Order: sequence, then structure tokens, then C-alpha cells
Amino acid sequence: MPPKNNKGGAKAKDSSAKQENDVVKTQTVFERAQAAYDLTRPPYDKEREELGGLHALSTVEKTAYANWFCTAPDELAFLSKKAQKELWKQVNETNRPLRRGQIDKPKPDQWGKDKLGRNIGDYTVQQYEQRIEKQGQLTCLKALGRSFASKRLYASKGLVDSSTGEVYKLTEEDIKAEKQHRKEMAALKKDLYGEKMGPYSTDPEWDDVVPVPQMEPEGALAAIAYPEDYAESMSYLRAVMAANEYSPRCLKLTEHIISMNPAHYTVWLYRFANIQHLDIPLLDEIEWLNGVALDYLKNYQIWHHRQLLLEHYYPTIAGSPDEVKRFARSERAFIMEMFAEDAKNYHVWSYRQHLTRKLGMWENEEHGELDSIEGMINDDVRNNSAWSHRFFLVFSNPRYSTPDSHATEADPKVPADIIDREIKYAQAKIKLAPQNQSPWNYLRGVLVKGGRELGSVQAFVEMYVQNIGNEETEQVHSSHALEQLADIYEEAGDKEKADLCWKRLGEKWDRIRLGYWEWKRRSLKAASS
Amino acid sequence: MAQLQNLPDELQLATEAHVKYIQSLDSRKDEYEYWLTEHLRLNGVYWGLTALHLLKKPEALPRDATIDFVLSCQHENGGFGAAPGHDAHMLYTVSAVQILALIDAFDELEKRGKGKAAVGKFIADLQNRETGTFAGDEWGEEDTRFLYGAFNALSLMGMLDLVDVDKAVDHIKACANFDGGYGLTPGAESHSGQIFTCLAALSIVGRMESVEADKLGKWLSERQLPNGGLNGRPEKQEDVCYSWWVLSGLAMINRTHWIDRNALFGFILRCQDTEKGGISDRPGNMVDVWHTLFGLTGLSLLGYPGLDEIDPVYCLPKSTTQRILGSKD
Repeated sequence: MPPKNNKGGAKAKDSSAKQENDVVKTQTVFERAQAAYDLTRPPYDKEREELGGLHALSTVEKTAYANWFCTAPDELAFLSKKAQKELWKQVNETNRPLRRGQIDKPKPDQWGKDKLGRNIGDYTVQQYEQRIEKQGQLTCLKALGRSFASKRLYASKGLVDSSTGEVYKLTEEDIKAEKQHRKEMAALKKDLYGEKMGPYSTDPEWDDVVPVPQMEPEGALAAIAYPEDYAESMSYLRAVMAANEYSPRCLKLTEHIISMNPAHYTVWLYRFANIQHLDIPLLDEIEWLNGVALDYLKNYQIWHHRQLLLEHYYPTIAGSPDEVKRFARSERAFIMEMFAEDAKNYHVWSYRQHLTRKLGMWENEEHGELDSIEGMINDDVRNNSAWSHRFFLVFSNPRYSTPDSHATEADPKVPADIIDREIKYAQAKIKLAPQNQSPWNYLRGVLVKGGRELGSVQAFVEMYVQNIGNEETEQVHSSHALEQLADIYEEAGDKEKADLCWKRLGEKWDRIRLGYWEWKRRSLKAASS
Repeated sequence: MAQLQNLPDELQLATEAHVKYIQSLDSRKDEYEYWLTEHLRLNGVYWGLTALHLLKKPEALPRDATIDFVLSCQHENGGFGAAPGHDAHMLYTVSAVQILALIDAFDELEKRGKGKAAVGKFIADLQNRETGTFAGDEWGEEDTRFLYGAFNALSLMGMLDLVDVDKAVDHIKACANFDGGYGLTPGAESHSGQIFTCLAALSIVGRMESVEADKLGKWLSERQLPNGGLNGRPEKQEDVCYSWWVLSGLAMINRTHWIDRNALFGFILRCQDTEKGGISDRPGNMVDVWHTLFGLTGLSLLGYPGLDEIDPVYCLPKSTTQRILGSKD
């Protein structure tokens, strides 16, 4: 029972009003419902409930309870007129209230739970009112969404708006407003129900797509878990791929997924299919691709994609030599940008060779590769990739080389002056860094291509090796030179000198490969015995 | 192996930690990296499982769940994707076949999967009948990795006769370079990884006669750097994974003794995380399952004690390839 304050003064009344106000604020939803319920029943019913039964009530209250029970409309119907009259008389005499409301006794869990599993009945009234307001907002937003969808449907069918007499039309503003509504809805849904709406489910442009969530066997060894945004994009990707859709929005979707996971090969292949169907201009795609390539230097799908683009577009420029040259130059410019980050990137070098073949960028062409490669070797004489590309450029040139001649065999069609030029080139670079294995390998490769003996460069090799076997005066400026000298001796049949070179390599100049040098010595001995 | 017992503790193989590390990979589903590598999932299972077999803990991953996952990646056309919902591709199809070989489960492929014949057809259809090369998928990218993968998987299933071996061998020969190595395509720079794929493909079909073993062995042994580690190309940094690419090549031409064995042991073992397990590319870096496998295969090829023997051609335990192909020796 609430305390009786009716005897207090004005001050007490004020404070009680304030107190009651506070009570309302901090009262829970269930408490308020309970209080409302209590107002609809007589006090003795509440007392009976609290005390645990009729037996605990006074005689007068027991009578009052019986009267109250019997005056319920359903019960009254069973009584005769006379009995009813008697009952009302007794009610009057007992002089107790007979309040009766139409509401059910509230249950603490009848409001359900919120997204955190909290019982909403335990909310304060204030919190509850806020929640109701948000739900109201959500309902309004949904209604706006439905009218947007109707308008879009009418517009697509070319229907006329009877109120204006004009054809329905969806404006940029409509779409913008709907996007804003979806954002608000997403925030409300997340707040109220913990439901997440990703960027695609909130974008009206994707309304017609039913996303396909990942299916996987239960309890699989490598079950797949995604963060939500990625999962949502992938579920839309599956849907559009299954429908074989090729459209600007699909292109955007692939861009989004690639930005999250550029190594996902399926999405790249699907992107290429979109480009083919939509006939996206080559340079637009290349421009986008350049940015991605610089962001993900080690990624290899990017370069495969570029190669597919090249194959797809080449026929459209093949007829115009100027366009071919322009494209060759712009591709080389980007390749050089990539090499500024990593000058030995294997994917980029592979693409460069492909490009060279496709666009005919040989050493003697106007847009040829030779100057660029010389520049790269000058920048870093130890860049083996650049050396390898030079070899390809010089010895695969269709103008003078034998078609499909292997890199390991002599090619009699290559002019002698080119062989001479390449020997001189390798030797000049060896002078810069004698212990650099790339030009030494290159030199040997050139000799093979030219069908020349190793001994033809003996004088050059001997510049780097002096007095082998003489403990005091022995000088080796390059272990590669010493090795090549051994091979020259072997070629000339001078086994003792060859053996000595290998011995010294194992003992001093290249000890980590002792096993190899010893094997060379043993096999030479075995061959001569 | 006496000298190995004298290595300091940090240069002993942390077998238990490595097993735990590989087992833990599957329970990291809440980590960003896990979903970012989804396009490699089937490869990842192969790498982890092979490493566990080498460590002699083949039962450390559940066999039934492994089979279920592998089969869930298979498409109607017989090929496998990296994970359910990913496109079928040569690389994942090879991993699937290798996993099933490893756990002796080809019969499950017949019972519950699309069957060996469909897998063989998927692979064989990727061969370009004019050039002999193989594409990775219907989109036509061709390189020697796919050719090797095709030979590997088809030979394990006994279906090499589905493809034109002679043309493929001719293509590999065209990839040989002036320095003795092999590149990705004819004319491309020599690379240890490509050398492995070319040599292994030739080994599988018994066509090593065109290999200039001494020249190639020289180039491969030149990959060892003074710190003991191996690099993949001249003037590049050492990396544990080349312990496999370089060494397997040397093993196929019987020349592993051309490099300094103990120096390489030391380098690989210094790349271990001895507490949490796993092996990284270089000492002190983050470990991953790929480098863990190739560190272990490197150790195995050099005969490190306590490890199962690896087959340098198939990158599977020798016990597996002998069970399937019979003893070649």
C-alpha cells in the first residue's frame, strides 16, 4: 500500500509529486503494467494474492471478495433476478469497492527479449518509450520503401500517375532519398534487433538480387568464416554469377571484392567476362588496374588479367601501327613504375615478354625494348631478370633468328656482328662488377648461340685470374672467371690445369660448393683413366 | 648424422610445436587472415597434411573430415575449387588428388565424389593439343606449373594416357634457358620453382634425357648463399621455400651433395618458431604453413633424422608414392 500523505502540508505534497515522478521514470515496464492492473481490481484481491489465499482476509473482506467474484458479468448470468437483488443488497452493506477492468494480469516476459537477450519487461518506461519510437520510425521508413518500390515498378511499366496526369518517373533525388532511408533503416535494425544490413542490402540498385549465402557441409574440416561485409559481397557475387549477369553494377561489385581480397581468382575471371560483355574501353580498365597493381605488388592475378585484356583488345589496334606503338610505350611506362618498386618481379617480367612478342617490341623497332633494358642494367648490373630479358630480346628477334630456336642451342642465323656486340656488352658489364654471375652466364649463353668456343674469350677471362696454385701470388677477382677458365682448359684438353682451378675453387674461392668442385675433379679423372 | 647431435638446442627440430601449429590452423576461423586465404584452402590442407606426415603424425588431422572437405570442393566437371563455391582450377584439383593419395582415399572419390574418370577428364581437357601445354582453367592461362600438376595428378591416378606426353615434353624442352635453368614459358628467366616443375614433369614420364644435368646442377648449387640458405634466382635473397625448389631439383639429378648440407640445416632450423611452432621464410619472420612444409621437405631431402622421407618428384612422402606407384628403385 502506498504511504498516506494526505495529512501533510503543501511542501509534503510537492515532494510526493516529485517522488512519484521519479518513480515513473525509474519504474520498469512490467512494474507499470502491474500498477495499471492493480488499479483495475479491488484492494482485497491484491491482498488475497499477496497473503496467499482467502483464509488470510478479514470476514468483511472475505464477503467483499465473494461479492466481487459473483458480480462478474459471467457469474451474474447464472443467478435469478431475486438472487441478483439479494447480492446487490449485500454489496451495498459491505461497502467495499467493486472495481473491474478488462485487462489480463501482466506476465514479466510478455514483451519478449531484445537483441542482447535482455527482458524488455525490465526496461524502464523511458527506455521502452524510446524503443517504441524507433520501431515507429522503422515502420515509416518501410512504408516509404514500399512506395519507392511501387513507383519504380510503375515507372518501369510506363504507367501514368492519375493525380498529375504524368508518366511515373524515378528521379536521382528519389534514389538518393531511398538510399538515405535504407541507411537509417540499417541503423535502426541494428540498434533494435541486432540485424546487420550490409552495403548491398541497403542499396536500391541491388533490390532485385537475392543473395546466395555460402553453403558448406556441417562440421567441415575447413569451415569458412567471413567478416560480414565480405560475406555479403560474396553472397551477391554468387547470385549474379549464377544468373550470368554482366552489368556495370557487377563490375563495381568485383572492384569492391578485389579491394578486399585481390587474390580471389574467381572474381577476376568474372570481372573479365563483364569487360568482354560490356565492351569496357581498354584504357579505362588499364587505368583502374594500374592502381590495383601498385597496391598489391606480389599479386599475380592482376597480371594474368592484364594479359587477357591484351589478347582481347589487340585485334582492335593491330591494324594501326601508331596505336600499337602508343600502347607499347604506355605499357612500358607502367611496367617501369612497377619496377621502381621491385625490379625483379617475375609476374611483371613474364608480362613484359608476352607484350614484346605480341606488339613486336624487338631491339631494332622504333618502339623496341633494347634502350629500356640497357637503362635497367645500367641502374643495377646485378639484375638477372633484366639480363634474361635482354637475351630473349636479342636471340628471339624474328627478323634474323631461327623460329623456335631453343635458348640452349646455337643459332646459325644470328649475324656474327650481333654475337660480337653482345660479347663486348657482357664483358663491359663484367668489368664493372667481376663477381656478378649474371653477365658471366650471359657471356656463356652468347657463345653457345654463336657456336663459338669458350676459349675464344680466354684472354678476357685471364684478366681476372692470376698465378693459380701459387700460394703467394695467386689472385682471383672473380670465382666465375676461375670456373670459366677451368672449363676453357677442359675444352682444350689441359686436364691438369682444369683440375687445379677446381681444386682452388673448393679450397679457397668458392668453398660452400666444395662438393660440386670435388665432383668435377673426380669425373674428369674417371673420364681420363 | 653424429654432428647433428652436437647442434645447440635452438637448432634441433621442434617437432611437437610444429604439429600443434598445423593443428591450430583450422581453429583460427575468427582471424582476418583465415578468410583472406580462402582461395588457397585446399592447397593449405595439402601443405599442412603433408607436413604432418613428414613429422610422422599423420593422424593429427581427422581423416573423415578431410575427405568430406575435399569432396565438397569438387564440381560437376570433375575439377576442384579452392573451397566450396570457388571455380574449379588445375592447382586445386592437383591438391585434392594429392590429399586423397596421401590418406589412401581414392575409393571415396568413386563412392561419394564424381569419380577418378571425371577428374582425369577435367585435367586432360586443359591440355592444348597443338602446343602440348596445359592451362590452369577454362580461361587458358598456360604455364609449366600446370603441366607439372597435370602429370602429377594423372600419374597418381594411373591416367597419363589421356594426354599427349610427347608434345608436353617438347614444350618443357623449349623452356630451357642458356644458363641451364628453366623458365615459366619459353624465354622467361630461369627460376628455381619452374626448374622443379619442369624436372619433376620430365621425371614422372621418364624423359630426363634432355636435361643437361651438370649445367643445371651447377646453376642450382649456385643458389646457396654464405649464410647457408638458398635463393630462387641469382642476386635474390635466400628463402626457406627454395630449400625445396632447389634441393628437389638437385635430388632428381642426384646432386644434393653439391651444396653444403650442414649450412642449410642450420639456416632452416634458425627459421623455426621453437615455441609456437611453424617455420618462416627467414630467421625471425612470421611463420606460415607453406614455409613450414618446404622447410621440412628440405630437411627431409637432406636426411634429417626423425623425419619421414619425401619424394622429390611428387612432394608426397615416399611411402605414399611407393604404395600407389610401386617402388621405382
